[in-house]
Amino acid sequence: MRRLLPLLLALALLAAAFAGASRLVTLRGDIADFLPAPATPEAAFLLGELRSGAATTLLIAGIEGAAAEDLARVSRAMGDALAADARFTLVANGAPRLAEEEVALLMAHRYALSPAADAFTEPALRAALEGVLDGLRSSAEPLVRRFAFADPTGAFLGLLRGWADGAAVRTAHGVWMADGPRALILLQSRAAGLDTDAQGATADAVRAAFAAAAPPDGARLLLSGPGIFAAEAAATVRADVKLVSTLSFLLVGAFLFWRYRSPLMLAVVALPLAVGTLAGLIVVDAVFGHVHGAALGFGMTMLGVADDYPILLVTNRAPGESLRDAARRLWPTLRLAVAAAVAGLLPMLASGFPGLAQLGLFAATGLVGAALATRFALPALLPEGLAVRPLPERLAHALLRLPARRGLVLGALVLVAAALVATGGPRLERDLAALSPVPEPVRMLDGQLRAQVGAPDVRTVLALAAPDAEAALQAAERAVAALRAAGIAGAIDHPARWLPSAATQRARLAALPDDATLAARLAAARDGLPFRATAFDPFLREVAEARAHAPLAPADLAATPLLAARLAPLLRRDGEGWRALLLPAEAIDPAALRAAAATVPGLMVVDIKAETEALLADGIATALRWGAVGGALVLLLLGAGRGLMGGLRIAAALAGALLLTFAALAAMGERITVFHLTAALLLAGVGLDYALFMSRSGVEEGTDDAARALGSILTCMLTTLLTFGLLALCRTPVLHATGLTVCLGVASAFLLACTLAPRRDAPR
Amino acid sequence: MPLPDETGAAPRLPRRLLLLGLAAQAPDPLAAILAPLAAVRESRATFVEEKELPELERPLLSRGLLAWRAPDRLEKHTIEPVEERFLLEGEVLTIERRGERRQVALDAAPEIRPLVEAVRATLAGDAATLRAHHRVAASGGPARWRIELTPLSPRVRAAVQRIVLEGEGAAILLVETQGRDGRGSMRISPAR
Repeated sequence: MRRLLPLLLALALLAAAFAGASRLVTLRGDIADFLPAPATPEAAFLLGELRSGAATTLLIAGIEGAAAEDLARVSRAMGDALAADARFTLVANGAPRLAEEEVALLMAHRYALSPAADAFTEPALRAALEGVLDGLRSSAEPLVRRFAFADPTGAFLGLLRGWADGAAVRTAHGVWMADGPRALILLQSRAAGLDTDAQGATADAVRAAFAAAAPPDGARLLLSGPGIFAAEAAATVRADVKLVSTLSFLLVGAFLFWRYRSPLMLAVVALPLAVGTLAGLIVVDAVFGHVHGAALGFGMTMLGVADDYPILLVTNRAPGESLRDAARRLWPTLRLAVAAAVAGLLPMLASGFPGLAQLGLFAATGLVGAALATRFALPALLPEGLAVRPLPERLAHALLRLPARRGLVLGALVLVAAALVATGGPRLERDLAALSPVPEPVRMLDGQLRAQVGAPDVRTVLALAAPDAEAALQAAERAVAALRAAGIAGAIDHPARWLPSAATQRARLAALPDDATLAARLAAARDGLPFRATAFDPFLREVAEARAHAPLAPADLAATPLLAARLAPLLRRDGEGWRALLLPAEAIDPAALRAAAATVPGLMVVDIKAETEALLADGIATALRWGAVGGALVLLLLGAGRGLMGGLRIAAALAGALLLTFAALAAMGERITVFHLTAALLLAGVGLDYALFMSRSGVEEGTDDAARALGSILTCMLTTLLTFGLLALCRTPVLHATGLTVCLGVASAFLLACTLAPRRDAPR
Repeated sequence: MPLPDETGAAPRLPRRLLLLGLAAQAPDPLAAILAPLAAVRESRATFVEEKELPELERPLLSRGLLAWRAPDRLEKHTIEPVEERFLLEGEVLTIERRGERRQVALDAAPEIRPLVEAVRATLAGDAATLRAHHRVAASGGPARWRIELTPLSPRVRAAVQRIVLEGEGAAILLVETQGRDGRGSMRISPAR
């Protein structure tokens, strides 16, 4: 036990260092970091929307599983509670919710905000007064009286009705109710969509409001939105990873225990891995100021390569050789392996994707750290005498004879390559949704809720920039007018629909008839109706007052949260200037839209789906390009280390493994994503090690050496398979892709490394 | 826990005084008025409604039919001058007029609930609901009675200060509403 002390002490020290580092290191999660730097204004706009667009703050809640009136009660209770919560900028559930001061403000500006241009002619006034009388006769009389004598033309209520037009949801029991029945609530959080912690808190607030609303038995809360997605995705991945890592820890532990007859081997493997991870974390944080969560995840995957270093060291030790001597003897090979892997990773640093650069740096640093720990720390810390169980003889025989079948295997590789080329190669994933770690049912629920709440699945966005808010509003008005003139029909949501430009507001106020004219027309319109002469004095007074009001500007909207919330997604500050968005409500022929938009200077048409796909394809292409550069660097290094033939042999084993992996993936119908590509990096690193160590011994060394090398690589492969194999069973795209690719690849890399190793006699 | 015995062996002194005080009051007239109303499961009536508004030179008149079915369905069907259906059933108020149908949940309309419950809870003989929304003053006896309701909610009271219901036996004959600046009165004639 005493002899174990240094090793255990070192591990405890590392654990403490981890606790310290995790406090210092800033973790960030932003999938957009893994997309390339935008090359076009459209792509830049799209990236901005992905990162911080209004859509990222939207939450949709559905309540189901009870009778409609109970659902309505819960919806109202939740609506009231959440409307009072400062974390939400918008709470809409179909129930009218206007504060007194909001009513007062909108009433004061009603003639500037509403477009009723010809409401003040005598016939129009006559019709309006008859409408008022009819309303007074109805049971809605108290409501009618509240506004009718100040606003007989209904400008204010018309304004509210116009705003409600966008929502196509049916109302039942006073709230939005979809079939099912399912009560719907639309929420907008103040926190940015990418602030996962704050998004988690908002989701919790909604759940708490649901619980506080005393839902009847069986009632369920469904919650959807990008913020929820992030939390849900993180939870799914975490659960998957926890299960898989527990299982694989047990499997790997059992396997290593069997192979080395000692539980110690787990600690031996853990040490370089921990050193590498720690080094990667600290260096990436020091260089970038933060560590991207995905870079960490992928980087850890990549460090699966480092897992092999201690196994190679311990297993390759010859009988009677001290660990120190073995480390010294193996170091040139290990050094070459690490140098080649780092060379392969280096181009990622220059790739221009912040995420990819971090991943590269993390993995490279980690590998170097792990290799150094293996070379220098392990021999010093490890007690001698980790006996290795020999391989079953028949297996060793078969594997060591593989080089004899080299021609056959090479032929098969060529055939596979030809087949892959003939079938057009593996298909690339072009749908961003497929990359999402959000579980499929959650995405489907989101689509369903979105459709029910009438939030359009925005395909096309028109955007324009202006130096200030007023200019942006005027530009939006001109753009909509131009689109209409060009024959684009159908509803278009735009900021001036909610807040007309100051110019338009002034024009509307200027068009109001003067006091005397209006009084005369009103008197004529009243003729024969039972209204007293003074009944509409509030109307005359307020029209006169309206003329004196300054136009409402975006800065004045603090008192009207409803209007502010509706305007916010469509008009916002963008760097130095302002940006207005125009959202067509229904699918419009993109060609026609583009043609119409071309008549408006500065109006940018963004086809969301096409742009996203282009971004993604661009991303993968860039990754491949830098991968090729890395590959060339690796070749150079190998050539320098092993000579031309040796380098080629290793490169062939590596390329063959990649080829077989992607051929198998294609045959399985997998679409290649960025996750497969990063997993291929790991596979390339592992495959490199296998090939290097298999061919290390050369012909001059004995078959005992070869058998040991084989045993060490087989052990490496099996631990990798046990670690990543279970990931392939996960449904989360990133885990599934990584696991599957690594498993296929590691197996082919192993077999190819055996096959392409220098010929030698079979072991005795 | 033993309940205090009203016929009174020997409860402690303060409770005894309290009981004496209650006993000194007349029996609750509201209960006596509501009992015959509560016994009616279904009834029909015609009504004539008159609304006086300060903005109008003459009152607005309307007439129609009322239908009640216990425990909670009240329909006011205005026939003249404009047809309108005003149906209160359970927690939902439905108004149909000129082909337009609107539904309001009473939960969502705290300003409306006291007003509609004034009539419905009286028809149902439901004193608890009346008292939940109004200060209640009842006078007269089962034969000829008068209930005066003052809304408890200040918001409602800003619009409607008082509702007076008058009736004979199990029938409401008059509902008078005194608003901020306007009055309404509905005269009701039981059918058959």
